Amino acid sequence: MRLEVENVWGGYGSGDVIRGVSCRADGGEILCLVGPNGCGKTTLFRLLLGALPLRRGEIRIDGKSIAAYSPRELARQIAYIPQSHTPVFSYSVLEAVLMGRASHLSALDAPRAADREAALEALARIHAVHLAHQNYATLSGGQRQLVLIARAICQAAKIFVMDEPAANLDYANHQLLMSVIQDLARRGYLIVMSTHSPEHPASIGTRVLLVKEGQVAGFGPPGQVITPENLQAVYGIEMDVVTVLDRYGVSHTICLPVEAPR
Amino acid sequence: MDRYEDHTLTGAALRRRYRWVFCVLGAVLAAAVFFSFWVGYYPLTPAQVIQAFLSRLGYDGEILPQAVTIFWSIRLPRILSAVLIGASLSVAGATYQGMFRNPLVSPDILGVSSGASLGAAFAILCGAANYLVQLAAFAGGVAAVAASYLISRKSAHSQTLSLVLTGSMIMALCNAGVTMIKYVADPNDVLQQITFWLMGSLTKTNLTSLRWSAIPMVVGLSVIGLLRWRVNLLTLDEEEARSLGISIRRYRVIFIAASTLLSAAAVCLGGLIGWVGLMIPHMARALVGADYRRVIPASAMLGAAYLVLMDDLARSILSMELPLGVVTSIMGAPFFVYLIIKRKER
Repeated sequence: MRLEVENVWGGYGSGDVIRGVSCRADGGEILCLVGPNGCGKTTLFRLLLGALPLRRGEIRIDGKSIAAYSPRELARQIAYIPQSHTPVFSYSVLEAVLMGRASHLSALDAPRAADREAALEALARIHAVHLAHQNYATLSGGQRQLVLIARAICQAAKIFVMDEPAANLDYANHQLLMSVIQDLARRGYLIVMSTHSPEHPASIGTRVLLVKEGQVAGFGPPGQVITPENLQAVYGIEMDVVTVLDRYGVSHTICLPVEAPR
Repeated sequence: MDRYEDHTLTGAALRRRYRWVFCVLGAVLAAAVFFSFWVGYYPLTPAQVIQAFLSRLGYDGEILPQAVTIFWSIRLPRILSAVLIGASLSVAGATYQGMFRNPLVSPDILGVSSGASLGAAFAILCGAANYLVQLAAFAGGVAAVAASYLISRKSAHSQTLSLVLTGSMIMALCNAGVTMIKYVADPNDVLQQITFWLMGSLTKTNLTSLRWSAIPMVVGLSVIGLLRWRVNLLTLDEEEARSLGISIRRYRVIFIAASTLLSAAAVCLGGLIGWVGLMIPHMARALVGADYRRVIPASAMLGAAYLVLMDDLARSILSMELPLGVVTSIMGAPFFVYLIIKRKER
């Protein structure tokens, strides 16, 4: 399974927000989108999900342009995992996950026993079956994020587009989520995630797309793209990229904004 | 599969519980309907009710002729109207609440009641016959929602926000129209009729008007009933729902159209009966959870039983008959306050 983005342009009104972005990734990879606020990450996501028409260029899944997919077919290829938000109504976790089956049901159908089984299996995949009958609205932000991942698994898509999955999570939930994401990639899913922190691609990403003002400022393996020069160019401030060893001897990359002492 | 065996057990227990809730709701509705045949200006005994019912099915025992007339010509249309109006308003309310992602939304939000009032008031002013007044009410309600919807499509805001905005604009316009008509109407005759119509009442229901209103109601209830699981998806963000593979705008049109048929038909049959569409879906959710697969049928049954009982109150609480709209408002407004307080606590 392969995702190819080729010289894509798109935006709202008369202006283009995304101007000539290209990148590609295969199943099993974690593609991280890094860039400052307003660089066009969200717009690129909307283009990927088919929510915004392309003005130029092409996005292909396994060689087939997404413009050729119906919304239903596209939903079986790409799942969207938004930032978790509190739902208005008190759905149970299982009911929330079952909504992922929509693209597999005809208009008059409601989920059946087989769909319920698929939903429970998706919850099992992220070790959250025990939440199945709890109130989705009262879960913590981290748990809700996991449930949304289960919904994407239940949707049976191969590409997961995640909008800042790590935003607003505490340390423990952050670690849990990152390990779930890595586990998904190992199972062959392609994860496309946006992030504020350039450390994510350095620790779990296999490819990084560095975006500045709607254009590609760097694309490739994290080691090549996450450099002080590139980050400086994108964020407009001085940045250091340092490697530290933790107590177990595992190395980590940390990005630091720095300032010359006055 | 073993990993989640005990959770499927919980699921089975839940499903059993919901089945029970539906059985109880059905029983309550049946009891409310049966009980309502006794109540009114001319009380009937349970035995007379059964005899009157059987009289049309070949029973030829001794029976009061008045009981037969009251049963078939007065109470039956009235009770069936209450059942249909209650179910329609509640289902329309539940659907709108899902669609606008707001549990405090009522079916009036796109101007259906105001449009219907304007249509009815205008028809009464022109001295139209009762069935024309009802037709004008129905047309007015549908036209008001259609106008809200079409204007909202020109707006640059998100669709739900622009619908709410255009809806309140249409409502204001229609209400101004009603006020204008009331202002020019003859206070001794036409004004009284308009005021009475706007209060909401089931006194004028008969089998003919019931039969005609039942058509849009059955259409609306069937459409929403068949598609009800999909209302769940409309409670999500537009982007999110789209990524699940459904065209949210198409479903929104379908649900708005079906809900409008329901509320316009309800208004044309019973006038303005407020609060039912707002409060009943809440009670339904409290009983069967948030899933619209259960919320829609539970709202329909609960709404039907509720309105039947409210109509019983309206015709029996005082020696004269109270307008039904007044009774539902007296019951509904405190419930709304309770909801607001409860939301604050959470």
